[in-house]
Amino acid sequence: MSTFNSADLLPLLPALLLVAGGSVLALGEVFLAGDKPERGHQAWLAAAFSLASLVAALWGGASAPHAIFGGAAVGNGFGSFIAAVVAGATLLASLSSAGWLKDAGAERGEFHALALFAAAGMDVLAVANDLLVLFIALEAMSLPLYALAAYRRRRRNVEAALKYFVLGSFSSAIFLMGAALCFGASGSTRLADIAAVAGPAVGVAPSAAALLVLAGAALVLVGLAFKVAAVPFHMWAPDVYAGSPAPVAGFMAGAVKAAGFAALVRVLIVAFGAPFGAVKAELWAPILGGLAFLTMLGGNLLAIPQRSVKRMLAYSSISHAGYVLVAVAAAGSSLSARGAALSAVLVYLAAYAVSVAGAFAVVAVVERGAEGDGVDDLSRFAGLARRSPFLGAAMAVFMLSLGGIPPTAGFVAKLYVFRSAVDAGLVPLAVAGILTSVAGAYYYLRVIVYVFMQPPETDAAPLAGTPAAVGLALALALAGVAVMGLAPDLVAAYAVASPLVAP
Amino acid sequence: MPAMNLLTVLIFLPLVGVLALAFVPAEQKSLLRGVALLTSLATFGVALLVATGYDAKLSGWQFEAQAAWAPGLGFGYHVGLDGIALLLELLTAFLSPIVFLSSWKAIDGRVKLFTISLLALETAMLGTFAALDLVLFYVFWEAMLIPMYVLIGVFGSDNRIYATVKFFVFTFAGSVLMLIAILFLYTKTPAGSRTFDYVELMKVTLSASEQRWLFAAFAIAFAIKVPMFPLHTWLPDAHTEAPTAGSVILAGVLLKMGTFGFVRYALPLFPSAALEAQPIIGWLGVVGIVYGALMCMAQKDMKRLIAYSSVSHLGFVMLGLAALSPEAVTGAVYQMLNHGVSTGLLFLSIGFLYERRHTRAIEEYGGLAAVTPGIAAVFLIATLASVGLPTTNGFVGEFLILSGTFLSRAAHGEAMTIVAATGVILGAVYMLWLYQKVFFGPVKVPANAHLKDLSVREWVVALPLVVAIGYMGVMPGAFLDVLKTPVAALTQRLGGNGVVTPPRLFGTPPGGALRNGLGTFPQGTIRPFAPAPPPPPRKLEAAP
Repeated sequence: MSTFNSADLLPLLPALLLVAGGSVLALGEVFLAGDKPERGHQAWLAAAFSLASLVAALWGGASAPHAIFGGAAVGNGFGSFIAAVVAGATLLASLSSAGWLKDAGAERGEFHALALFAAAGMDVLAVANDLLVLFIALEAMSLPLYALAAYRRRRRNVEAALKYFVLGSFSSAIFLMGAALCFGASGSTRLADIAAVAGPAVGVAPSAAALLVLAGAALVLVGLAFKVAAVPFHMWAPDVYAGSPAPVAGFMAGAVKAAGFAALVRVLIVAFGAPFGAVKAELWAPILGGLAFLTMLGGNLLAIPQRSVKRMLAYSSISHAGYVLVAVAAAGSSLSARGAALSAVLVYLAAYAVSVAGAFAVVAVVERGAEGDGVDDLSRFAGLARRSPFLGAAMAVFMLSLGGIPPTAGFVAKLYVFRSAVDAGLVPLAVAGILTSVAGAYYYLRVIVYVFMQPPETDAAPLAGTPAAVGLALALALAGVAVMGLAPDLVAAYAVASPLVAP
Repeated sequence: MPAMNLLTVLIFLPLVGVLALAFVPAEQKSLLRGVALLTSLATFGVALLVATGYDAKLSGWQFEAQAAWAPGLGFGYHVGLDGIALLLELLTAFLSPIVFLSSWKAIDGRVKLFTISLLALETAMLGTFAALDLVLFYVFWEAMLIPMYVLIGVFGSDNRIYATVKFFVFTFAGSVLMLIAILFLYTKTPAGSRTFDYVELMKVTLSASEQRWLFAAFAIAFAIKVPMFPLHTWLPDAHTEAPTAGSVILAGVLLKMGTFGFVRYALPLFPSAALEAQPIIGWLGVVGIVYGALMCMAQKDMKRLIAYSSVSHLGFVMLGLAALSPEAVTGAVYQMLNHGVSTGLLFLSIGFLYERRHTRAIEEYGGLAAVTPGIAAVFLIATLASVGLPTTNGFVGEFLILSGTFLSRAAHGEAMTIVAATGVILGAVYMLWLYQKVFFGPVKVPANAHLKDLSVREWVVALPLVVAIGYMGVMPGAFLDVLKTPVAALTQRLGGNGVVTPPRLFGTPPGGALRNGLGTFPQGTIRPFAPAPPPPPRKLEAAP
C-alpha cells in the first residue's frame, strides 16, 4: 500500500540536513588528530547546519498539506513550524555552548552531533502521523539527550542523566502501552484509523473498541505529559535541568518542549480529537484543562523559592508547559476556536524557545570557569548589569519575555493563548492561568533585582568573557524576542495551523 | 491628515531620544543629561503644538491616527485625543523636562540607565493616554512598569528593592485581570471582524452580569493604580523609596493612569455596572480621603506623609468620578492635573531638602524659613495648593468636586460630600503642621544652620510649577473648556438624560445650564434630593 515517492522526502529535508550535519561533525573527529587540535569551528559548523535546517523548514511551510510515506507522516505547516522552532533552538544551543565546551575541556564533535541527531528526531516527531513512527522518533530524540545530559561526566551530570533516562524510559513504556491498546482496538497504528474507531456518531453509546481507545489515549497522554513535563509528571525536570550543562538545558527546554507538544497535539487532535460522541468537549476541558491548571500552578509556585537560576528556569518551564496546555485544551474544547488555538500553541512554543534559549545562554556565560553546586546561584548574578551591561540587559529582556510582559515575545504568546482560551469558553482556565502568571512576575523579577539592583559580590570571580559565538546567540535571541513582540503577525503568518489533519 | 501624525510624533519622540542615548558612552554624564533634557523639551514643544491645534468645540477624537499592526490578532495602532487625554499629555510632557533638570545633580551614578528609563517611561505614559486600541493601551500600560521598576529599584533609597517589587507585583496583578477582561470583550465583537479597537468595543452589547464582571476586572486594575483604599498599600513604600524624579513622575502622572482608566474605559464601557458600583466607589473614595488624611498626621517621614496625602487627594478624584455629574467629573479631571502639579512641586521641594541633608525625617528639620527662604517660599506655595486655598489650582478642583457631588443625583451624594469636606479641613491641618515643623520655630539641628538656598537650576525647576499653580488657580477657563465635550459625552453615556432640574440651593435660572462662576457646564442631570434614579438599562445600545 505504501508507495515511496522521492517527493516524500521534502518535508523531511530539515531533519535530513540535521542528520547530515551530525554525521559530518561525528566523522570529522576522525581527521582531528594531534595533541590539541583546534575545534573552535565545530560550534559554527553545527550552527550552519541548524541554520540550513531552519531555512528548509520555513521554505517547506509554504507547501500544501499532504500525506507522505503512505500516510505514516504528513507534510504540512504545523510540522514545518515545529521543525523551524527546533532548528532555531538548536542553532542557539550550538552557538551558546561554544565557550562552555572549551572551558570544560570537552570540545568534541560528539556534543554537537548528539544535539543535531536529537533535533532530527524531533523533526520526525513533528511530522509523524502513526503511533509507531511517533514512538521511534521519541526514542531517536531522547537517547542523544540522555547522553548530552551526562556529557560532562561529573557526578551531578551523571545523576541527572540517569534520572532522565529512567523516567524517560518509563514514560516511553507507558506511551507504548497506550499505543498497543489503540492498536488492539483499531488494528492499525495510523492516527486516522484510530480516529475512525474512536469517534462514533453523536449520541451513540461508545463501543467497546472506543473505550479501549479511550484507555489507550489516557496512557499516551501520560507518556507525552512526561516529555513536556506537565504536573504531576514533572518530577524529573528540575533535577535534569539543574544537572545538565546550561546550553543543553536550554536546548531541552526549548526544542524538546516544542517537539513533545507537536506529538501531543497531533495525537490528541488527529486520533482522539473528535471521538466519544457527545462527551467530547466535556472530557477535554476537565482533563486537559485540569492538567493545564495543575501545571501552571505547580510550576509557578515551586519556582518561587528557588535560588538556583537553572532550577528556577526548570520550574518555570513546567509552568510554560501549562500555558501551552491551556491552548491545547482550547483546541480540543471548541471546533470553532481550534485553528486559532493551534496557532497559539505554535506561537507560544516559538516565543518560549527563543526566550529560554537566551536565558540559558546567559547562565552559560555566568557559569563559565566555576565548578560546584552554587555556580548558578542567584548571588552569582548580582551586579551582572554593571560587570557586563550587555549580558545584564539581555537577561532582563529574557526574564521579561518569560514573564509575559509587553512589548516582548512572551506577552504576544500569552495573549494568543489566553485569547484562544476565552474564545473556546474556558474563561475560568484563562483567569487561573493569568493569575498564576503573577507569581511568575515575582521570580523573574527577582533575577532582574540581582542583575540590576544588587552590588556585585566582593569576592566574585571576574566574568570569563562572552565568546563571539555566544554573543551572536544572545543577539539572535534578543532579535527574536523583539521581532515577535513588536511584529507579532510575522510569526503568526507561519503559524496558521488549520491544515493539521492530513488527508 | 498630514503624512506624519503629530500625536504619533509626540508619543515616540522620547523613544528617539532613547536611541540617541544608547550610542552615548556611559561616562559622558553631562552629554547624557543634556540629550535627555533636550529630548524632553522638544517633546513638550510638540505637546504644545498639539494643544494649539486642538479644537475644543469638536467632539470625537482629534489627531487620530490608525495603522495596521497585527490584523491577524485583531489589534492595531490607533491613537487619538479627547480633551481629557490632551490635558494629561500636556501634564506628562510638562513634568518630564522638570524631572530631568531636578535630578541633574542628585543622580550621579548610572546616568545612562536613569535617562534611558525616564525617557522610555515618557513614551509609555504618552502612549497610554493616547491609545484607542485596548491591546495598544495594555502594552503601553505594562511598558510603564519596567522603567518605573528600574527607577525605584536602582535609584531609590535603602528599602528600595522591597518597595519596587511590591509596586510591580501589585500593579501587575491588577493589570492581568484587566487583560482577561479585554480578551473577553474582544470575543463579544461581531465574528469575522473581531477587533480590540476602542471605538468598536464601545458598540458592543453586554448583559448586566457580563458588565459587572468586566467592570470589576477593569476597576480593580485601575483602583490599584489610583490607588484607592484599601488597595493603596504599595504607594507609601514606592513613594518613600523612589528617588525624587521617580516620586514626581509617580505622583504626577502614573497615579493619574488609574483615574484616567476609569474615565476612559471602566465607566463608559460598562455603564450599567458603573452605575451600580457608584456608591461603592464613592464611599471608598470618601474613606480614602479621610483615612489618607488621618494617616498623614501620624507620619514622621516627609515623603511618606505626601504619599498618604496623595491617597487622600486621589480619593477626591474618585469621589468626583463616582458622582457622575458634569461638574464633579470636570472637577475630578481638573484635580488630576492639580495633584500632578502641586504634589510634584512638594516632592521636588522635599528633594531639595533631601539633597542638602540626606534625611526625610521631619524632626531633623525646623526653622528653615530663615535659613533657606527660597525653599520655604516654594514649599509654601505647594502646600497652599495642596490644601486647596482659593486662587490656587487645588481650590478649583476640590470646589467643583464637592459642589458637583452634593448636587448630583448620586445616592448618598450629600452625605459623601459632608464627610469628604472634613478631609479638606484635615488636609489643611496636616499640611500646615508639616510646614510649621519644617520651616518655623528655632533651628534645632546645627547642620541646618548653614544650608544653601535654591540654586539657579533649582529655581528654574520650581518656577514653572509655581506659575502653573497660580495660572490654573486664577484662569481655569481654558482648561475647563477643553474638558466640556468629553465630560458631557461621558455623563450622557452614563444615564444623563439631558434634562436639567434647577437645583434649589444655587438658584440657577430654570431650564438654563448651571453656572457657578467658573464657566458654563453642559446640560447634565442635576437634581438634588431627587428620588433614586431609575434602574439602569439592562442592555445598552450603541453610543450616540
